[in-house]
Amino acid sequence: MKHSLVLGSLVLALMSGSAMADTSGKKIALSNNYAGNSWRQAMLQSWDKVTKPAVESGVVAAADAFTTAENQATEQAAQIQNLILQGYDAIVINAASPTAINGAVKEACDAGIIVVSFDGIVTEPCAWRIAVDFAGMGKSEIDYLKEALPNGGKLLEIRGLAGVFVDDEISKGIHAGVAENPQFEIVGSVHGDWAQDVAQKAVAGILPSLPADIVAVVTQGGDGYGAAQAFAAAGRPTPTIIMGNRQDELAWWKEQKDANGYKTMSVSIAPGVSTLAFWVAQQILDGKEVPKDLIVPFLRIDQETLEANLASTPVGGVANVEYSQEDAIKVIEGK
Amino acid sequence: MSLVRQVFGKPWIWAFLATLATFVVTILFTGGASTVGLAQAALTFGAFSVIVGLGQMFVVTLGPGNVDLSIPATMTLAGTLALKVMETQDGLIWLGLVVTLLTGLVIGIANYGLIKLLRIPPIIATLSASFIVQSAAIWTNRGIRIKPPELLAQFSTASTLGIPNVAWLALVISVAAWVALERGIYGRFVSAIGQNMRAARLAGVPVDGVRFATYVLCALLAAITGFLLSCFSGGAALNMGAEYLLTSIAVVVIGGTAVAGGFANVPGIWGASLFLFLVVSMLNTYGASAGVRMLLTGVIIIGVIVAASRRPAR
Repeated sequence: MKHSLVLGSLVLALMSGSAMADTSGKKIALSNNYAGNSWRQAMLQSWDKVTKPAVESGVVAAADAFTTAENQATEQAAQIQNLILQGYDAIVINAASPTAINGAVKEACDAGIIVVSFDGIVTEPCAWRIAVDFAGMGKSEIDYLKEALPNGGKLLEIRGLAGVFVDDEISKGIHAGVAENPQFEIVGSVHGDWAQDVAQKAVAGILPSLPADIVAVVTQGGDGYGAAQAFAAAGRPTPTIIMGNRQDELAWWKEQKDANGYKTMSVSIAPGVSTLAFWVAQQILDGKEVPKDLIVPFLRIDQETLEANLASTPVGGVANVEYSQEDAIKVIEGK
Repeated sequence: MSLVRQVFGKPWIWAFLATLATFVVTILFTGGASTVGLAQAALTFGAFSVIVGLGQMFVVTLGPGNVDLSIPATMTLAGTLALKVMETQDGLIWLGLVVTLLTGLVIGIANYGLIKLLRIPPIIATLSASFIVQSAAIWTNRGIRIKPPELLAQFSTASTLGIPNVAWLALVISVAAWVALERGIYGRFVSAIGQNMRAARLAGVPVDGVRFATYVLCALLAAITGFLLSCFSGGAALNMGAEYLLTSIAVVVIGGTAVAGGFANVPGIWGASLFLFLVVSMLNTYGASAGVRMLLTGVIIIGVIVAASRRPAR
């Protein structure tokens, strides 16, 4: 009887919307499925950089990061179950699969834990999703090329890892852009697995069979430098290669820009999106009304902003922005 | 007639026939215009698979259950450490080489130590070692792509007499491996252990010493490949070795080396390495989608293995 009274008043307080629950006693965990590339390393570093001061200043009680060893959904599900038992109030997830860990996510929700997924999102309805408009990202590449190369021409497409949702989405956006702009034609498509060496190998294999007048290479990030190397090795002129915000890609672009005025653009998702997810989780714990689906903007670098971004990107890292509590509130309010 | 029968009795001939067929089909797409470019690309990228494949071949030949799964991690760590100590300076290349070889040596010793002293099966031992090695690579690298010294970058991407330098290097290592296998006592020992370890021990083969040397050799070759690959592709990356795990095993099997151990062959490694590169290029060239490509790659590989494993008629 007493319990239901307390619960009832709690529900009332939450519904009134004005409740600013204090989050200083709340514990937030990051469940991450993979750490083996530069993007994920930057993601974890951003998490550290933003959450440490937040913990020290008492915004939250803890913000611990956990990474699974094998990039397996089963392993991540077990990890989430452990986090439930350890009594975290919110779990921020970069998921190995959009569906395979739904069971564990549901268990967490049922235990009263806030679950926020980002980058690798989960489809379980009780969780929040901070998604990237990947198709829009692909289409923005063609929108850029339309301006840069008004005459159009032949394109080579480098895709990501076959069978992954992100790869399908970006490629869909690129193809939609090409369909709207018939002056462009995709004459070859290879999978570069978002890795420079794989992209280099794949491009080197198809290049001898491609026509000589390739005007541009559309990419998904992490593969632009490898493509440039493959064109150079084959003794071909370098087309406009869209970059993916990696430091080596930006450094190469800067070299070319200084040497011969090379022009392109670069687009990817900032690894700092993990910090946005952190603040969103904090806001939900704080009692804020947050829509279940949020869209995170992508980070684009142009000819004019190249130098500034290159300077702020660590050698071997990825161009990055970290999000603040105010940024998160803006995203939540849809501004 | 007997010559034809002799040639077709070789287990490696099928890998070469498949290579030739895919090559011809691929260049037909452009009416032959891509011949030179495609051949050079195949030799370049095939060379990396050849070098790791040779190490894996010796390990597999040791008998059932012997396989080295730490190859990708070894490649990544060796490439990372070497580029780091060289600091892009030509004068420090010798140091990079020393670090590469030391990395391979330490990992090889650790692998066999786990297998022998702790009696862990090789698959588990090398897999768990690879976690440690990969973590070490992440720890030292933190996603950093350091450029190779200019001299090394030029060497690894250039050609001599129209053949890529890395292919020449792979050829030298292959010849050495062939001599060791077919003419040297080491190869006899490895084959004997693979055919029957007990019999080999009773016949006086230093079984432990040979197995130890083989795991070290495999790790050394993986380290060298990691070093070359990171110079070739303009820097070391954390995921650079990943695709060489399955490749190293596939080239051994397609090349006609017995999976159960005891029989190895070097030419097949070349045939299989070139074939694996060309089959992907062929399907890319004809615009096959990712699903179709993986399906066909699997079917073709099974076909070649079935053809190669048929016992020749006597």
